[in-house]
Amino acid sequence: MMSGDEMNPAAVAQAVVDVQGDDRWMSQHTRFVLECKDAEPEVLFIGDSMVQLMQQYEVWRELFSPLHALNFGIGGDTTCNVLWRLQNGELDNIWPKVAVVWVGTNNYEHSAEQVAGGIFAIAQLLTSRLPKTKVVVLGLLARGERPNPLREKNAAVNGLLRSLLPQLGQAQFLDVGEGFVHSDGTISTRDMFDFLHLTSAGYRAIAKPLSDLLLQILEETPEERRASLV
Amino acid sequence: MSAEDSNPAATPTPCVDTQGDGRWMSLHNHFVSNSKDKEPDVLFVGDSLVQLLHQFEVWRELFSPLHALNFGVGGDATQHVLWRLSNGELAHISPKVVVLWVGTNNHGHTAEQTCGGIMAIVQLIKDKLPNAQTVILGLLPRGKMPNPLRDRNARVNKLVQEAVSSLPHASLLNVDPGFVHSDGSISHQDLYDYLHLTPQGYQAVCQTIHTHLKGLLEKTG
Repeated sequence: MMSGDEMNPAAVAQAVVDVQGDDRWMSQHTRFVLECKDAEPEVLFIGDSMVQLMQQYEVWRELFSPLHALNFGIGGDTTCNVLWRLQNGELDNIWPKVAVVWVGTNNYEHSAEQVAGGIFAIAQLLTSRLPKTKVVVLGLLARGERPNPLREKNAAVNGLLRSLLPQLGQAQFLDVGEGFVHSDGTISTRDMFDFLHLTSAGYRAIAKPLSDLLLQILEETPEERRASLV
Repeated sequence: MSAEDSNPAATPTPCVDTQGDGRWMSLHNHFVSNSKDKEPDVLFVGDSLVQLLHQFEVWRELFSPLHALNFGVGGDATQHVLWRLSNGELAHISPKVVVLWVGTNNHGHTAEQTCGGIMAIVQLIKDKLPNAQTVILGLLPRGKMPNPLRDRNARVNKLVQEAVSSLPHASLLNVDPGFVHSDGSISHQDLYDYLHLTPQGYQAVCQTIHTHLKGLLEKTG
């Protein structure tokens, strides 16, 4: 475990630099900050394209919109980028009951230990800014058509998170990756259309355990939930 | 030195696996073997705008009935599509129409180079599928507000339009229903990250494509 966050590059907040020329990352961040002004989310989703893309599928409208969920996913984000966004306005004026964190698969420059440390730093930030909020950290999914170093790395990150997160009373780890890797070691394009991003069917598979957990948490919190289930 | 050698956008180039899981090559191989037992009338090929289209209902509604195959790969620039089509993705199929949508990821290339890349793909398709029509989809605007990439994409479209005007086997189809509002902004309801289309965004774009394809397919019989 890294002794200090300043030693861990994956735990250093960092904005994305606009290299392409259309400033899309900052535009998305600005939009999220604006959304915080009026929204009263009970659930906040934050992370990378795994989070962002979910909102484009039917499953979002069916299972998560009814929970008054906000989606602050940005494709390509690393733990550093998510940390920066959370420190620069994306937590202002909102008091969600649950924050769902899904990030880490894009941390190509960092080791599994560093990535786990970066995710832990995000969970720490959330629990300190929002002491009443429960934090659910989703495990990184396997990726690539066949076994490869990134699968091992993501699995290692998950293993580290399982032991790190209980240190934060309000945070827990949820593994949603069950079943994606077949007995022959392959991942199907039916679940991940590019062996990384989920299809509609892939999202349905992970949404079920996630929404079950969210409903359980929301029902447990003392204040009555305003959300309707329609 | 031929034109292709001096234009990186028109030089077939595979994607290098920098991430470590070989996904680009897996997808390419998947497309090659996938095509062995299919007889598509329409082939969609290009970048993530093509790839993502395959994930939404609109594909099943509008393009599956036309017997369409989807060979989109996220992140691809013209040189990557050129490589894929030169290395097996056209080997086992004879679609009547190829829908080509690529160019927005040609970062570092000029509009002229990108047009050259697109035209190299058009020529390759003509060489391999002499009876096919190629429909080039115009590049969409991107970014929340006006920016150099919008200008560049518009210039690519203009250059391509000029280049295909004399070709009987290729045409440019503008599929932008008017994503840019009067204040210059693009809405995240249409392009959720100011680049990629939402299902709502795809509906508008795909109606245009579908109508055009039906017309073409009726002609070719």
